[in-house]
This record gives sequence, C-alpha cells and structure tokens, in this order.
Amino acid sequence: MNATDFLLHVQNADGGWGYRINGASYVEPTSAVLLALNNPNARTRGRDFLLSLQHADGGWGIGAMDAESGWMTAWAVRALAEFPDTRDAMRRGANWLIENAGLVVRDEAARAKIGELFRIDSTLRGWGWQRGDAAWVHPTALAILALVAAGQSKHWRVQEGVQYLFDRATPDGGWNIGNPWMLGKKIPATIQDTAVALLALRAAGEASSDERVAKAIEYLRRAVAHARTPAELAWGIYALRDWRVDIGDALARLVALQSADGSWNGNPFLTAIALTSET
Amino acid sequence: MHDQNPIENRTPKVENGITRRAFLRLALLTGIAAGASVIYKATEPVGFERWFRWMLRGNLARFFAPPTRVALAACATYDADVLGAVRAAWQHAAMPNVDGARVVIKPNLVDVVGDAPCFTHPRVAQAMIQLARELGAREIIVAEGATFRRDVQAILDATGYADLLAREKITFVDLNYDDVVAMTLRGGYTRLKTLFVAQTIRDADVLISLPKMKTHHWTQISVSIKNLFGIVPGVKYGWPKNTLHIQGIPAFLAELADSLPTRACAVVDGIVGLEGDGPLFGSAVPSGVIVAGNDLLAVDATCARLMGFDPAQIDYLAFAAWAGIGAIDEGKIEWVGEPRARFQRRYERPSQME
Repeated sequence: MNATDFLLHVQNADGGWGYRINGASYVEPTSAVLLALNNPNARTRGRDFLLSLQHADGGWGIGAMDAESGWMTAWAVRALAEFPDTRDAMRRGANWLIENAGLVVRDEAARAKIGELFRIDSTLRGWGWQRGDAAWVHPTALAILALVAAGQSKHWRVQEGVQYLFDRATPDGGWNIGNPWMLGKKIPATIQDTAVALLALRAAGEASSDERVAKAIEYLRRAVAHARTPAELAWGIYALRDWRVDIGDALARLVALQSADGSWNGNPFLTAIALTSET
Repeated sequence: MHDQNPIENRTPKVENGITRRAFLRLALLTGIAAGASVIYKATEPVGFERWFRWMLRGNLARFFAPPTRVALAACATYDADVLGAVRAAWQHAAMPNVDGARVVIKPNLVDVVGDAPCFTHPRVAQAMIQLARELGAREIIVAEGATFRRDVQAILDATGYADLLAREKITFVDLNYDDVVAMTLRGGYTRLKTLFVAQTIRDADVLISLPKMKTHHWTQISVSIKNLFGIVPGVKYGWPKNTLHIQGIPAFLAELADSLPTRACAVVDGIVGLEGDGPLFGSAVPSGVIVAGNDLLAVDATCARLMGFDPAQIDYLAFAAWAGIGAIDEGKIEWVGEPRARFQRRYERPSQME
C-alpha cells in the first residue's frame, strides 16, 4: 500500500482520523489528512466530521470528547479553507482565533522579571494551546497559517503573531516550544517547531532575504541533514520545500522509514504530514 | 429591714448603658465573629467547606494513619546489579501485586540536553521491566508524554530507550497522542473539575512512576509526583502543558496524586541524581540509591531528605501532606532496607522561579 491507500483505509466510521489505527478521531489528524488527500469521498466525510464538531463559539476542541475550544481550531480552519461550501464555518473559526490570544503580562515588574529569566517580550500576543494559556510557538504558527488560509493575512493579530515568532527564535536560529532561554541557559531549537514556524512565516509573506528567516532556514537545513525520525524528516522537508530549499537526500531517508502498510509508524497524522511533504 | 429595694438588687449592673452580662455576651460574640472572619478570609480562595475537609483529612491521617513504608536499596552505578537493587527495594516496600496485571511503567523522559542526567536511566527502566516480568505481569507497557517536544521518537533514540524497548520487545505508548479519557478530580484543589488523561493510564492495573531524582526550578525537587505531568496528553494541554502550571503547581500536583484512576507506586532512579539547574540542566550527583514505595508523597519526601531538603519547606509536599494525600513527617514514614544516612547528600539548590 502507499500512503494514500493507508489513509483511506484507516478513516474512521465517523469520517475522522486519529493518531493511530483504530484510535478515536481528533481534529488535528483529520485536518492534516484533508490537506494531504485528494479523494473526494473521503474528503467529504472528513469535512462533515469537522463541521459536526464545531462549537457554538466558532472554535473546535480536540475531538468529540472535548467541549472546550482550543488550539486545534487553527487546524480545522485551515482544512475547511480548502472547501468552497464551508465558508461560514471557516469564518466563525477564524473569528474565534482572532478573539482569543495567549496571556500577556501587563505588570511592569513581572514583565521585567520574565524578560530577565527567559529573554522574551511577554507583551506580544501569540496563541496558546488553550484559552487562558500563555502563548507558545506551535499554536501561534498554526493560527497564522489558519488566518492566512482564511484570507486574514493582513489582520493585526497575524502581524503581531509574526513578531511573536521572531521574538521567540532561539540563539541557534530555530524555534523550540517558545523558550529560547531559561535562567541564562540556551534552550535548543527543535526541527518540528522550527518547521511549523517557518511555514507560518512563509504564509505570512516574510522573505528569505530577512536575516532572521535566513538563519532559521539554515538551521533547519543543517538539522534535517542529520534528522533520523519520521516526524523530524516529514516536518523538515515540508518546511524546506515550502521555502524552495534543497533537501538533499532527506526525502529518500523519509521514504526508507515508511512501513509496508504505507504509513509512517502506523500514525495517520504523521503519514499525512509525510505525504504533504512528498508532494 | 432591707437596705436596698429587692427589685433593684436583681437588676444587673449597667456599664456604659448596657448590662455586664450583655457586655460579656457581646464580647464573646465579637470574638467568635472575628475568629470566623479570619478563617473565612484565610479560606476564601477555596471555600470553607473544602478547606475544612482537607484540614480534617490531613489531621486524621497525621494522628491515626499507620506509618507508610519506603524502601532504600544501594546501587553504586548503572553497571552494577540494578535489577537486584530494584528487586530488593520492591520487596522491602511491600509494593503492589503485579501478578497477572497490566503494568504501565512511566519513566521521566523530559528531554535530552547535553550530558545532563535529566532522564531516568534506561538501565533502571530495564530492571523494572525485568522485575515486572519476574513477578508475573500480564502486560508491560512503557509510556511517557514528553513535555517539551512533540516528537518523542527523537528522545527515545537519544536516551537509549529505543534500543531498550526493541531488545525487551516492549510496547511504548506516547501518552501525548494516546486516546484521552476525562478523569473527575476529587480534591477540588484547583479550578479544574475534570482532567483529560491518557487512556493507557486509566486502563492500567498498576502505574509505576519511575522518575529521576533531581532538582527543579519550579518545585525545588522533581521526583515521582512531578513525573506524573507526563500522563496528561499534549494534544489537549499542549507542550509544555503550561496551562496546568497556571492552576498553581502545588495544587495541581495534589490533584494529580489524589485523583489517579489507577493504583500507583514509585521506584526512583537515584543512582545518579541531578542537582542545581533542573529539570533540564544541572550536574550529576552520584547518590547510589533506588527508592521505592506505595505512597508517592512519602517517596518524594524521602528523596527530598536524601537530597538535603526539608520536605516541609517544599510547597507541593507540604500542601499535599496537610491535605492528607500522603505522609511526609519522619514519624509517619517507616524506612526499610539500607540506612538513609548512607545516601544522604546535599544537592545544590536550583534557582527558584516564582
């Protein structure tokens, strides 16, 4: 089987996909598969699954079991942007993203302390994983990707999100969860966080001539050259190709890790990212 | 002859317009009201009823609960007989019967940063797997939900766990992506009513917290209870699950320890601990000990003492003990196995973040 066959084969009866074969359906893997697959029937069922989970406030939780809207709203908005008949749901989701922001620190003393400990600007709004959370790199990057897909690339929240990402870059040029420093120690970047941040910056219209972007691309290019896991390779290739950067033998190494059933690690989400990166 | 009018005699003395009796009553009522007001004010964030319940349970435990057993076993290095040490500690501590059980072993695989010994050494996990097999476990799973990275495979590769799991033919479950189940929180220590946890944890018969003994800049120490942060799924709470920190770390750790859906015990990798800038950085401290017990709080309090901390000065231990979740007092812990003094060290303190 190839990756597409695998994804078609493991679609759940409710139309969604999980993080493993026979696992419950979640919004993130379902959205990622919708962005990777072309099969009309599977896409329609997946779209309907997403629509069925939208909350009254316009957002999405992680799945049917979650009544609280959170970070996976960004995935759903991005996926629904691909369908011409889901504009209203997408717009309500985008509004939810615009209305929700990561915590910002207003107290001057606390802000100074955070600046000293983490070397970050805690006044910049990004997006958190949940309502009431601080902002982090991954949900911020996903929200930027979603809002751009929803036609909101000029919105000030997107622009501030971009500033947030630049502020959280690690000294080595990439990104981790969002703490470039901790108590004077550098926290290293990771491939996955760097990849998703670069995808967001590309979508937001940043250019590789920007020194910060160039440094991040260079970090990712070097890191992917030594990457060993399917997730590192899939995300790394996805972002580097988006920036039209040579990926060397990374794709061959990713394909070498593919299982006989066409998946990577039997994981529909990871397989969808790998499939997107391949094409 | 009466000097005074008898009716006048029965009339209480009047001070400043009120009777003495009324004055005393008023004073008493004022005192009670002031006391109640102080208690109300002090318990306002959580409510008097809950505060009283915790206080009562804590005091009942302190006065009436029998001492809990914590075992110490010596193991100088990871090349020594780690299985022998883990086995000895397990036996001394009268740990749960795992015969026929579905056992989930939860090491601390926080991340890999340089040479810092910030994660549970794979030799200790290997010994725990082998011991669970010896004891007749029906199924053994190693599980973790890493805090800082979405890709746990990179951590498994770098820590040597990928090789270990392949060698021992053990299933690994990434708890960040496991199916989730809602767990009702019993304590009410935070604003959360329910918490999503990984289904693998809910479905286990016995959960073995297998942490590294180390310092931590938020909680001073990180041992068996802090290690439980890994059982909450990243897909819901993100990375680094900070939204749970926002609940207040001592309160949230108390919730976790108090509401676990599975019988839990702990075996601690204290062979080489981590001091100073934990949980990620910091330096190695050869401590040569395996610590085991059924009461996670007592295990953590024991490790705190071995690292040279006063458990009563560690917020999450003090709060959880006060609320009766477990024991931290000397008189409430029965240490068995090797003498404590043999492993006593003074770990460098972490920089504290408030």
